[in-house]
Amino acid sequence: MKVLEAVGIKKHFGGVVALSNGNLLCEAGRITGLLGANGSGKSTMSKIIAGVYGADAGEIRYQGRAVRHLKPNEARQQGIAMVYQNLSLVADLSIWENVVLGGERNKGLFLDDEQARDLAKEIVDQLLPGLDIRRAVHELNPGEMQIVEIAKAISAAPRLLILDEPTAALEQAQVRSLFRYMRALAERGVALVFTSHRLWEVMEICDEVTIFRNGENVGSIDFAHEGKDPQKIIAYITGEAQQSAGARGRAAGAGEVVFRVRELSLGSRLKNVSFQLRRGEILGIGGLAGQGQHELMLALAGGYPGLECTAEVAGRRVRLKRPAQAIRNRVLLVPGDRQLEGLFLNHSLFTNIVFPKLGLRRQPLFTPRRKYRRECAQAIDVLSIKAHSLDMPVSALSGGNQQKVVVGKWLSFQANVLLLADPAKGVDVGAKRDLYEYILKQVRENRLSVILYASDNEELIDYCDRLLIMYEGQIVASLEGGEITDDAIVSTSMRVR
Amino acid sequence: MSGGILRREGALGKFYLVYKKLIIALGLILLLFVLGELTVSNFLSLGQILLTVKLASFIALFALCQMIVIAAGGSGLDLSVGYTATMTAVFTASIMDAQNANLWKAVLVALGVGLAVGLANGLLTAYVKLPPLVVTLAMSNILQGVVNVYTAGHAITGRPSPVLQIVAAKTTGIVPNILFLLALLAPIVMVVLYRTRWGMKLFGAGANPTAAYLSGVNVRLVRCAAFILSGVLASLIGLLLLGNMGIAFKDMGSNYVMPSIAAVVVGGVSLGGGDGNYLGVILGAVFLQTLTNLLVALGWGDAGKWVGFGVVLYVLLIVYVGNRRSR
Amino acid sequence: MSRRNRRISPLGRFIGKSEFSRLAILAAMFTLTAVLQQNFFETKAIVRNINAFMPLILMTMGQAVVIIAGGLDLSAGTALSLLTCVLTTVMKKSDPLTGVYALAAAFAVAMAIGVINGVGIGYLRIPPVIITFATSYLWLGIGLFLRPVPGGEAVDWFRAFYNAGLVEGVPAWLKAAGAVFPPALVLILIGCALWLIVARTRTGRYLYAVGGNNESAYVSGINTAAVQMRACLINSGFIFLTALFFVGQNQSGDARMGDPLTLRAIASAVVGGIALSGGRGSVFSALVGALIISFVNKIIFFANIPNAFQPLFGGLIVVLAIAGSQAYALSGKRSVEAGRLP
Repeated sequence: MKVLEAVGIKKHFGGVVALSNGNLLCEAGRITGLLGANGSGKSTMSKIIAGVYGADAGEIRYQGRAVRHLKPNEARQQGIAMVYQNLSLVADLSIWENVVLGGERNKGLFLDDEQARDLAKEIVDQLLPGLDIRRAVHELNPGEMQIVEIAKAISAAPRLLILDEPTAALEQAQVRSLFRYMRALAERGVALVFTSHRLWEVMEICDEVTIFRNGENVGSIDFAHEGKDPQKIIAYITGEAQQSAGARGRAAGAGEVVFRVRELSLGSRLKNVSFQLRRGEILGIGGLAGQGQHELMLALAGGYPGLECTAEVAGRRVRLKRPAQAIRNRVLLVPGDRQLEGLFLNHSLFTNIVFPKLGLRRQPLFTPRRKYRRECAQAIDVLSIKAHSLDMPVSALSGGNQQKVVVGKWLSFQANVLLLADPAKGVDVGAKRDLYEYILKQVRENRLSVILYASDNEELIDYCDRLLIMYEGQIVASLEGGEITDDAIVSTSMRVR
Repeated sequence: MSGGILRREGALGKFYLVYKKLIIALGLILLLFVLGELTVSNFLSLGQILLTVKLASFIALFALCQMIVIAAGGSGLDLSVGYTATMTAVFTASIMDAQNANLWKAVLVALGVGLAVGLANGLLTAYVKLPPLVVTLAMSNILQGVVNVYTAGHAITGRPSPVLQIVAAKTTGIVPNILFLLALLAPIVMVVLYRTRWGMKLFGAGANPTAAYLSGVNVRLVRCAAFILSGVLASLIGLLLLGNMGIAFKDMGSNYVMPSIAAVVVGGVSLGGGDGNYLGVILGAVFLQTLTNLLVALGWGDAGKWVGFGVVLYVLLIVYVGNRRSR
Repeated sequence: MSRRNRRISPLGRFIGKSEFSRLAILAAMFTLTAVLQQNFFETKAIVRNINAFMPLILMTMGQAVVIIAGGLDLSAGTALSLLTCVLTTVMKKSDPLTGVYALAAAFAVAMAIGVINGVGIGYLRIPPVIITFATSYLWLGIGLFLRPVPGGEAVDWFRAFYNAGLVEGVPAWLKAAGAVFPPALVLILIGCALWLIVARTRTGRYLYAVGGNNESAYVSGINTAAVQMRACLINSGFIFLTALFFVGQNQSGDARMGDPLTLRAIASAVVGGIALSGGRGSVFSALVGALIISFVNKIIFFANIPNAFQPLFGGLIVVLAIAGSQAYALSGKRSVEAGRLP
């Protein structure tokens, strides 16, 4: 029985197309897996079904009836529940209070706490036996919090349950419990949608799998009829045409080591990361989204106050505790979230580009306007920033040009290491080309050393000399030169067994 | 091509954008003038206007303290400016003893007081991370207590140096001297805020503390410094208040706190930090003083003044700050 | 690893390790006051202490509710003053019936106050600190309008809110009971009962959810604006009860009498374990906080510190109390790994 059918879903965010042709079929009692690389559209698809986003076009039929954009609580009432990644818990409340949050029952005038506790205990016991439901959520580790999120979604007794990467924070044993429970739900007639970055998980629990690439479906495999072939799945994910290694016509002449990091750890986000970077080299950081790459880039720039990053920069031992120290050592960060971390949106181009200069020592009291304006004009020239005035607010620029401004800040600094955290995210093709042209030129002519984290594997393939793949906060693979292929990246990222 | 980008932005468009809030503030003032003329005779006499502007100058000075603290971000507000000024006035009145020769001693005391208060506020808000409003409110109470203790033993004697009186109270011809001070101060403030690296760091810390931090700015230090500056300024304003009133008394400064914040809101300064045009704040002060005059002239007295302020502030907060959740 | 005896229910948010230290501090303050005040254990003295403590206790409980829901009410003190002015303006000494009208009017005004604050905080999403700062002047102005100088009238039976014995025509047994069990205590118990009822309903749970994480609450389908409005209305209820007591005691209204209570109530709430960020704490432990602050003030009084110094110490205590409580709360917190901001 078809529980949900989505046809021709289109969704865009600003100028970026997330889905151009999304299709999905969920049937009662079956577990459907969604697979795809970063930015393929699978996550957007899940969120549209759950009501977090509204589709721009396309048709969704739920239990035979056409539905339009539902708000999350409406969707919940209709029987669609989504397991968020820690978006919906209140840390100060207890587990059972969170599980029933928004759906409490009354006994007479007051809340029926007993019923709530019983319900919570019943669900939680099957997912993680022994977890005391009276504990406050803020005491739990991320895995346990994820279990509570799952329990919360289940408590609504949904007909369609969407689990968006629920296993990311879970350990093996917890994953097994979850799978047992999912199987039980399926046997009761619930339709489930499951996404995970671990290929073996998808192959184990799902009845069928739908693969997304570049915003549309590229294939479906019914495991019962067609068997489970990981190579075939990977082929769908990466696409046949992109098997060749990218062109990287640079002499990978290894210079001396300019940046060495040893055993960098940050709680559970980064574990013993060590690597070294040579002058004139582009070192890539890859892997699936959220494996610690963003945290690594920030940590290398001294962005975590509690964390001391001991490193060697150009032969000298330094302790990078604050961004100001990193900047002094010419370790410069182009942050991953430009609006949140890199720009003053309401301020002018001039202010944004000039800003880091203010922190340097031996600067005059009054900002030397004319000199700075000339330097800004230079930056705009070099990076081909499309703006009509230095005084216009950066909020008026396109994403690509905004990103160029973030890079342009560092133009007049002689960088030892340039940390690029996903520089081309949300940037149009032309701006992306300009950015990389500039970077490659600096690497070639001025022996700039770059650490590049990109969520798009193409960039990694095209530009990196070496590539480190991260998984759950650790570096799990290192690829060099010709080894850097789409296949290799995907399989090491997904931990194909 | 680069030559083109160096040229300043086209006059009319930028004028509207940057000065939109100033124009609104000016418009509000004119509205009040019109209302005043219609309802009260002689509302717009030259003498009245000059008096209004003179009183507004004191509000504008206190509002400068607020603007600095607010611009630095982190929900900054300084409720202790009133009693800081009062405390300085009370302490220095007897030191000066109506002599010009002692003025330097008074200034020294004022600086010390302002530094101490500002440092306490700054440390508690920026480093211990207590909410600024609660900290400065408590500080205000503490200072009030100190003033009470100091004045309990003896009456507040002493009169301000004649220099202070000339600056704060007297006029040159028909123009109150305090206006000259403000006219001198305002451009200095604007230059410091917009043309020096301190000013840019201040606004950066308020506009986007994360981006500022990642660009090497010590945001905590900047916010602490903002409170120190506010304290010192408030303290110096206390000297001016003393000069204006001729004597020091316990409630000298407390009535200025609310208007100083309201003036900032009317002037279009974002309460979250990151921007601020002092001209707008001055206009805001003029607006509030005009409102006060109108309400007093209508016979509403003190009660009307507070209701008026409260309503105006509430409405402006809705317009400038409120954002109904749109999902 | 769970604490075996830990129950998490509205009453049960009470028992915990920090709660224990708070009760210990209360016991210490209690003992110290008992030592300093000679007639501490006499009935008359106990009643007088209860009467003295009552306003802060009720105001603190009301403020606690608002803070738990993620807000803050800087207008509480002036709201209290306004209500006393309303009461004493509507009442005419000669006509006992005006007392009833006054009750109705004051209650209506209290609810209006709650709505105006609630709209600003909940629906318009203006930072609570600044919007209640603005409304505090609104209440002050209206209060001054009604009562430019302290004064006004109150009907005779209103005194029952303070001391039943002062009212004519009250049966002897009621007077005797009132001497031991003062109306102030009754009002406090009404307040407690009010909270007990609310805490067990959906609103009570949602106060914690909205204050704890507004986004999560919204995503879970809760009407966060309505919840915060209700918190303001509950606070108004507590302020209303306090106003009854004041007018019963003083028979007059004063537009400025409530000012010092605002900050003291906030400090008491913080000492009582209410986190200023919201979502945490119990209204009953806020009560404990109010008791602690009240005893400390009494100790200062008895320690023969000169009159002039007392407001100063009052302010210092507030700062120390808040700073200390925040520091203590932060020390045992979950480690913020990615706390990268200044």
